[in-house]
Amino acid sequence: MTDRPIVLHLVDDTTAGGVTRVLDFIRTNPDMAAIARHEVKVVARNRSIPALSADMIVSHLSISWRSLPVLIALRARHAGLPLVHVEHSYTEAFTALNVPFKVRFFTLLRNAYALFDRVVAVSEEQGAWMRRRGLVSREALQVIRSAVDLGRFRALPAPAGPALRIGAIGRLDRQKGFDVLIEAFRDLTSPEISLHFHGTGSEEQALRALAKGDPRIHFHGHSAVPEEALASVDVVAMPSRWEAFGLVALEARAAGRRLVASDLDGLKDSAGIEAQYVTGHGVQDWRLALQAALDAGTAAPARALGAEQEFADRWNHLVQLCLDRSEPLTRMACGRA
Amino acid sequence: MPYASIVVPAFNAAETLAETLVSLSAQTFRDLEIVVVDDGSTDATSRVAEQQARTDGRIRVVRQHNRGLAGARNSGIAAATGEIVGFCDADDRWLPEKLDTHVRHLERSPQVGISYSGSAMIDARGHRMGHAQRPRLHDVTTALVFKRNPIGNGSAPVFRREALASIAWRPHFETRRDWVFDETFRQSEDIECWLRFCLSTDWIVEGVPGLLTEYRVNAGGLSARTEAQLAAWERVVDKLRPRDPAFFARHEAAARAYQLRYLARRAISSGDGDTACELIDRAMAESRTPLHEEPFRTLSTIAAARLSSRFGDGPMRLATAVLSAVRQ
Repeated sequence: MTDRPIVLHLVDDTTAGGVTRVLDFIRTNPDMAAIARHEVKVVARNRSIPALSADMIVSHLSISWRSLPVLIALRARHAGLPLVHVEHSYTEAFTALNVPFKVRFFTLLRNAYALFDRVVAVSEEQGAWMRRRGLVSREALQVIRSAVDLGRFRALPAPAGPALRIGAIGRLDRQKGFDVLIEAFRDLTSPEISLHFHGTGSEEQALRALAKGDPRIHFHGHSAVPEEALASVDVVAMPSRWEAFGLVALEARAAGRRLVASDLDGLKDSAGIEAQYVTGHGVQDWRLALQAALDAGTAAPARALGAEQEFADRWNHLVQLCLDRSEPLTRMACGRA
Repeated sequence: MPYASIVVPAFNAAETLAETLVSLSAQTFRDLEIVVVDDGSTDATSRVAEQQARTDGRIRVVRQHNRGLAGARNSGIAAATGEIVGFCDADDRWLPEKLDTHVRHLERSPQVGISYSGSAMIDARGHRMGHAQRPRLHDVTTALVFKRNPIGNGSAPVFRREALASIAWRPHFETRRDWVFDETFRQSEDIECWLRFCLSTDWIVEGVPGLLTEYRVNAGGLSARTEAQLAAWERVVDKLRPRDPAFFARHEAAARAYQLRYLARRAISSGDGDTACELIDRAMAESRTPLHEEPFRTLSTIAAARLSSRFGDGPMRLATAVLSAVRQ
């Protein structure tokens, strides 16, 4: 087995989040291991990366003006190696809400992406955005929807009886839009329903203040075992303001939980066709959508079958594309500036 | 199919519609359709539109029960087939080169979703008044749109259709077609749309030089509408705040101050100095940002409000003269 090529994944974000869990899945996925040895290396953010020994390098690094020199050096040190970047952060809605000068930002992304032979979008929607904004050439772009091992989520029994418990899972952060969720939930009058937060973050105090006086709203802190949080709720709400993919949505589907999600970015992909989508963050719109989801009961949707296989197949395809020496690398196709 | 569509919402606009349509028919960019939406008019609007349609086969007339300006624009968008869609209210005019300028701008800049121009103000008789909206054209941030509305009035912007589609939605009670403008607003529907566009998409918003729109200012009853206008603006803020509370926390007070200053300037124009003083005082109590960002304009508004409250509208004419002298 030693002759398998080594694919080295670089990451600079080791917080307990989606990226870390997707990387764990890449590292341990047997279907992917059949093609290559996937290793993960943690590097310091915006610090120079030494010459690495591998057959292919995959960056999961965050792109910024400060990291651009690091990426240029990475390219220069590994001129002959296939280099791939996975974009876990940036999306259309991210840009709309976080980037005042968009032209400059697109220039950054174009230049950074052009250093790589391939760029991976983590949702179809994100990929469509990259094409729309001319950030990556059609040839260089690959879409690989994120996945983790969903076995333990699918093993959960479907919720039974009337839908009463709404779950909000993820960092308590402006990105997740949980402030809107609390306001919408407070407008629902039924005393039997409840709202459960699983996560911690910078907005926790503000959210607790918003929830104050409503005994139906509970904060449980970070749940180390994600499927346990899902096991304790009937409906999952994701009012995110931006989301490159939205792993919680995929997990909720695998757990047979109904979803109410923002109609934007990667959620259009990860929340699936059965989700109840809400346009915008109007409190009234969210109240109506939550009510509709509760009224719809607990009938389990399809459990995101095949997500892991698709993920492994697409990664294997990408590795083969990059390492197939008979075909010259399509670096020119990346629109290198 | 024509490359460009111009949507003309028309409600009881028989007096001005012909003038508007003539200016649109005269566009130097010829590959266009003009969609007149007669929004349940009770005057001769429909007949005027039909007459113009006989002289220019590119004009189509759509009729509906009254749904308001936003509702008329939405119906026009639904009927429009062009790759790019512009709007011209039925009492405004476009300069002949306007559409051509926007078409070329949008072709040249594929990331631009809204292309707008400045506007010259015209009076009830259609004469230029010497006032103009000369907005910033580049580096348009969401904060700038919120505070200074560079996109301007409803006859100034031309949209890429794809960009319009990206903010379209279907309210649960709507059965016919999508909404782009929010029909629950009867005022401030423009800024609601522009701001929502900036908060939910990453299309670039950019202007082209020139005063390519002639925008009609109707005198009379301005002060009476001030409170209603302010209330509509506050509703826009309340509606959009949940999209990004952090953004509103940062810019809301300054934007409100600019809005109050704008209303104060209108009160000055209509000779109502007392209302102007009250509005500009409220603006300064809300935020000093307009003083820092636009000291001359803000101070001149304060001075004009005080003077016009004491001496009537004479000082305003003086201030206007000073302002135009400074610009030249």
